[in-house]
Amino acid sequence: MRITESQIVSGWGNNFHSLATRAAIANVAEVAELVSMGTTNRGLLPVGVHRSYGDSGLNSGGTLVDLAELNQIAIDAHTGIATVGAGVTIAELERAALAHSLFPPVVPGTWNVTMGGAIAADIHGKSHHKTGSFSQSVLRMTLLLSNGQLVTYFPHDQEFWATVGGLGLTGIVTELQIQLREVQSNSVDVTEHRVANLSAMLELLRNSDQDYEHTVAWIDLSGDYRGRGVVSLGNYGSKSLREKEGSGRLSVPDLAGINFITPLTVKAFNELWFRKPVKNGAVLLSKYMHPLDGISNWNRIYGAPGFLQYQFVVDEGKEDIFERLFAGLRGLKASSFLGVLKKFGAAAPAPLSFPRPGWTLTLDYSVTVPGLEKFLQEFDEELVTAGGRVYLIKDSRLSPALLPAMYPQIEQWREIQRAMDPHHLWQSDQSRRLQLC
Amino acid sequence: MLNGFKNPGRIVLIGGESDIGLSIVAQLSPDKSREVILVGRTGEWALDVTDKAARERVVEKLFVGRDLDLAIIAVGVLGKDPTLSASDNLVQAMDVNYLSTVHLLSLISDRMSNQAHGKILVISSFAQVRPRDDNYGYGSTKAGLDFYARGLSSKLKGTGVTIKILRPGFVKSKMTEGLATPPFTITTEECGRYGVVALKSKKLVTWAPSILKYVSVLFNSLPLPIFRKISQR
Repeated sequence: MRITESQIVSGWGNNFHSLATRAAIANVAEVAELVSMGTTNRGLLPVGVHRSYGDSGLNSGGTLVDLAELNQIAIDAHTGIATVGAGVTIAELERAALAHSLFPPVVPGTWNVTMGGAIAADIHGKSHHKTGSFSQSVLRMTLLLSNGQLVTYFPHDQEFWATVGGLGLTGIVTELQIQLREVQSNSVDVTEHRVANLSAMLELLRNSDQDYEHTVAWIDLSGDYRGRGVVSLGNYGSKSLREKEGSGRLSVPDLAGINFITPLTVKAFNELWFRKPVKNGAVLLSKYMHPLDGISNWNRIYGAPGFLQYQFVVDEGKEDIFERLFAGLRGLKASSFLGVLKKFGAAAPAPLSFPRPGWTLTLDYSVTVPGLEKFLQEFDEELVTAGGRVYLIKDSRLSPALLPAMYPQIEQWREIQRAMDPHHLWQSDQSRRLQLC
Repeated sequence: MLNGFKNPGRIVLIGGESDIGLSIVAQLSPDKSREVILVGRTGEWALDVTDKAARERVVEKLFVGRDLDLAIIAVGVLGKDPTLSASDNLVQAMDVNYLSTVHLLSLISDRMSNQAHGKILVISSFAQVRPRDDNYGYGSTKAGLDFYARGLSSKLKGTGVTIKILRPGFVKSKMTEGLATPPFTITTEECGRYGVVALKSKKLVTWAPSILKYVSVLFNSLPLPIFRKISQR
């Protein structure tokens, strides 16, 4: 076990800076050893590759338990079941699975997410309307509890579902079993459509659920905010594509902390994005699923002040809330680099899991936009009135008072969480900020 | 905890009746979910600042189960006689403005170091720049506090905890009622605005109003006889 001195850690949004000690552990025995050592009153937090935007992966004054080395992958080609360590990333799992013509049924927009993180956030992808969230392909998980015991939970256990979306606050996931799905090749057959406004976008997404395994829309939230964009639809393809060595791995250099996101640059970028030729035909799975990973360190474009991602879900029939959101953002002259709109399918039976039937919209904003904090607070209240909620793994500014309305089962989660961690060992800056436990 | 906009979620104002302190709190960007604790002479968080055990008890309670993001320390008395020549007044002001406040600073910064984050705003005074015949007693208490806060700020480097010092000039408030108003007098509301500036500033010291920074340089460079003449006006 390597324990490093206190250092500054940020989330992907760079809008939090937190001092914490890091314990890099090499195997499960070391996790148990770390837990038995006891800690200060600031506790422990399991972490992966720090891709959560806000403060979910931070623990000021405490210890971060780095699980990167729990990276073993075993795939049973016959049953399609993968047994993976908590530190395995989606990228590593995809590559290993494709070697057996298998693929994880749920992958998010970035493949830089570990298995532990995927459970803690109950991540979702473009396939949610068909497959549900990540947890719905998990067959079992092994957890190290704060009493030092290693326990395996199954989907019939309430502890399983408290850990799903549980933000790392129930214990340390050490290993998972995931049911992979068969694929014929490493490609997706993609059809893209340009749409002129929001209602056309909603209509197309609504009508594509049945026929497409993957649906998502890129929405332009700059300029006149009509909600024009590109709807992207895909099914697993049969054509095997050759992956070009070293292609598509651009990186944003260190920009000396300057924020390049202004209404003008955003408008120009979104215009280019909207005008670029639409894709039709076979596209590499990795490219289609993870457009965000084409450029590494893209979070640097927001400069030193950092940015936040705001993602929410509302029921179908409540689409008028988008108009109010767009009007408000237009009033603030706030431009989002690219919004993502998606229709969700059925929810997982987990008290803190985010996805549930309805529309989800994701936006990125620099924290320097004047009036944004107040506006989002007001919008949260409208969202609650409309029965919606925000995604906690991306949150960095929710009012704790709105939590019970957004996550009505939170008390039930707290009860299970308390029983699993009576001594309050697992803590994060987000759990303190939102008074989660 | 701070939120993603770097705004505090839980604040304490020690000196809960202080006009300057209340004005700073009122001018922080509004947030319904923010918790503001007023530690004053009365109420749920009553504290006799000169009682050492009480200080320890209250600070302990402030950190139970929750983090504290910002402490504004606005404890202070001018004394009935601004020269503090009457020994009782002098002793009381030294106790409140210096001894008790420094102890609070030390207690709070220790707790914040444990949480590895937090900010403390100390209300110092322009009076600590150079002893004047009419307020050197009060000035000496603020000079001591200012000195300690600067030292503490340096010591806290790397802990995640930061200190900010606000040095107001003459502020029209309950504390200064009935006193003649010198140049560069500001209202409590204006002073509150400078307090907010101090909290956002990268610098350790903020003057209220800003021009006092240059007045202080001038004051310190004047030969004593000239300084006495000017300051007695």
